[in-house]
Amino acid sequence: MTITRVSPGVVKIERHAMTLSERAYLPQVVAGMFRTIKHLLKNLFNPKGLPIISYPEVKRVYSERFRGRHILTSREDGTTRCVACFMCSTACPAECITIEAGEDQRTREKFPQRYDIDLLRCIFCGYCVDACPEDAIYMTRDYEMAIDTRARAVVGLRDLVVPPNFPVGPMGWRPYYGAIEKHGTAGGTGIGQPLRDAPFEDSDPPNPDVYRGA
Amino acid sequence: MSTLTKYSAIPYTGPAPTNREPYVPATVAASDARGQEIAARLGTLTLEQETGLDLPTFIVAKENIIDVLRALHDHKELAFTLPLDLFGNDYPGREKRFEIVYQLYSLQNNERVRLKVRVGEDESIPTSVNVFQAYDWYEREAWDMYGVRFDGHPNLRRILTHENFQGHPLRKDYDAAQRWLLTDQGVSTIIPKVAPQYDEALEESDFERVTLNLGPSHPATHGTLRIVATLDGETIVGADCEIGYLHRCFEKMSETHTYQQVIPYTDRLNYCSAVINNVGYCMTVEKMLGIEAPERAQHVRLMLSEFYRISDHIVCIAANLVDIGALTNYWYLFQPREEIIALAESCSGARLLPSYLRIGGLAVDVPDDFLANAQRIVTSLPKFIGEVEGLILKNRIFRERVDGVGVISREDAINFGFTGPCLRATGVAYDVRKASPYLGYETYDWDVPIAEGGDTYARFLVRFEEMRQSIRILQQAIDRGLPGGPVMVDNPYVALPPKEKVYNEMESLIYHFKLIMHGIQPPVGEQYFQVEGGNGEVGFYVVSDGTKHPYRVRARPPCFSIFEAFPKMITGQTIPDAIASLGSLNIIAGELDR
Repeated sequence: MTITRVSPGVVKIERHAMTLSERAYLPQVVAGMFRTIKHLLKNLFNPKGLPIISYPEVKRVYSERFRGRHILTSREDGTTRCVACFMCSTACPAECITIEAGEDQRTREKFPQRYDIDLLRCIFCGYCVDACPEDAIYMTRDYEMAIDTRARAVVGLRDLVVPPNFPVGPMGWRPYYGAIEKHGTAGGTGIGQPLRDAPFEDSDPPNPDVYRGA
Repeated sequence: MSTLTKYSAIPYTGPAPTNREPYVPATVAASDARGQEIAARLGTLTLEQETGLDLPTFIVAKENIIDVLRALHDHKELAFTLPLDLFGNDYPGREKRFEIVYQLYSLQNNERVRLKVRVGEDESIPTSVNVFQAYDWYEREAWDMYGVRFDGHPNLRRILTHENFQGHPLRKDYDAAQRWLLTDQGVSTIIPKVAPQYDEALEESDFERVTLNLGPSHPATHGTLRIVATLDGETIVGADCEIGYLHRCFEKMSETHTYQQVIPYTDRLNYCSAVINNVGYCMTVEKMLGIEAPERAQHVRLMLSEFYRISDHIVCIAANLVDIGALTNYWYLFQPREEIIALAESCSGARLLPSYLRIGGLAVDVPDDFLANAQRIVTSLPKFIGEVEGLILKNRIFRERVDGVGVISREDAINFGFTGPCLRATGVAYDVRKASPYLGYETYDWDVPIAEGGDTYARFLVRFEEMRQSIRILQQAIDRGLPGGPVMVDNPYVALPPKEKVYNEMESLIYHFKLIMHGIQPPVGEQYFQVEGGNGEVGFYVVSDGTKHPYRVRARPPCFSIFEAFPKMITGQTIPDAIASLGSLNIIAGELDR
């Protein structure tokens, strides 16, 4: 295989005629075996260098803008920040958000009586987060959303609303402030990168009882 | 004028959003003059010229279209030999509601031309299959989508929709929510046409002919493709392809969404190189708006495009090698691909389908370790590529599987409208990045690799070399560093204001609200823009009627023409050869069926 320049900006790849050792099958087969055995030995004696993450014991680190499952944040008094303005459901390209608005009798504020996201329709594009003018919907780094029935794919307020002062520091896709620095990690296959347990502790699920919108 | 110019690098100079007048770019005069020249060269044939916003555009009477196409094709100096696209448009308000658009490219002069034929509902157009073989499938698609008949077409059946489908979905009066069920009874049997040289009467064979169905769910057809082959012994004597299994109505859905909402849909065209589709679509709409993304955004777009091109080639090469029995390479190549995808994830938050671009720039700035990670990947990539090259290129078993397999001649490749690595493997040095540079590709030092032969081996060689050239571009891009400044234009009619302003300023909140609810509203007009995708020219043709929904979005899928030529490539070969050559074409069903 030779590469020659035929004109400015164009190179031509000429295929080579097979040499004697190539025609004889065996030398190249042995050379190939040598190459793969080299990999085998390297991995055998240096298992830490393997590009493998032993899921689910070890979970990979995603960046702080990972677009995972959504949450609805709360104000300090425990009411949900969402004001049912329908911006997220309008911006949603997959039309997966259903909102029904209600009015708080005491404060005369709008709030969502129903807020459903169909996770099977959702394409996790983050447009809802970009559209929200109230800092109400975030995406987390939670990517483990296995379900056993289709009905469970539709998550409502019970699953979405998180308590006030919920730590949003290590959260995923959040509204972009312009000035805020967001560090990324390109963990890739995990070699030389820190690995940690699930970003969302399984023992600490969002508490549905905290929601006191009505 | 924008009042949000505090972060501004590029002051807003484009049209105001309420402006329904077409935005006329500065290049229109030049392209119109060129159009007049072309019309003069054709001599006897009179063409009616229309002011195209991007390309020389002609209105052709349907009686003349074949003559005009042939004249453009055969003309010594014009030589519009490459059929790029053929598609329909529907304008129900007009007297002749349908418009069939032909787009041709001249490899010799590096220019494009657009022809439009207007027809009414009951009219038909003579078929152009005899001039451009590529238009066989394109005409079937136009018939399927709009119901425009093509007289003399050899096989005018539905292509993207199924047999039980009623009506023509891209017509404006067709309800986007309408669904049709395909039942077992509806599925038609495909009997491939036997190539003339294998005519039964002429040939003496001891074998009974067998028709073999390959796909749509078959491990060797990456994606849902169906190939029906008639075999004489082991030789394929005739083949036919059926597509449309992954048709998700991209074009119809685009018409029901806003401009910004189409971006996640374009991700899902060629899902192996999603960012490149984003770039193509966003730049088309930016051209309509008369804006340009900031330098920093363009630099990131270029880098991610090249990373995704490498990733696309990796998927193609690795999967192709698995098809022909070399599994190890898959493991070796998918490690760098994983790193590339992780890099995209660190920017956008999603791995395969980043939806990272926005019209006017990027969704957010890249993380501050972006260049360091990019450098780490670029440094390690040659090792992985070299490893695989060392394993296969000198191996006789591999050579014999791919040498002279799935050959397509240069003339056929051009006539079928090939672009990308498959065209370059026949010795034609056509690359959009060189021919009509965008994102500043002209400022980088790199080469277009070509190879001779047009067979599977040549396509392998071209892809390997292209990865090396992409690494060269990336290394230069990293060395130059990221330009400073914003990643989004400062134009409140296009870009969402920063969130802290939305929370704190009334005006920004109103702009935010207007942009989400009423969307971007480009001025009236049509625009075509092309980028070099992983497997050829990805073009987007967008028509705006001044509202928040695109009037028409047409994606030019590069592998549509390539897969169309597949029966021709495998006729006379065996099934294992067909598998080997199918993998090397890099057919992505998401893009093929849209």
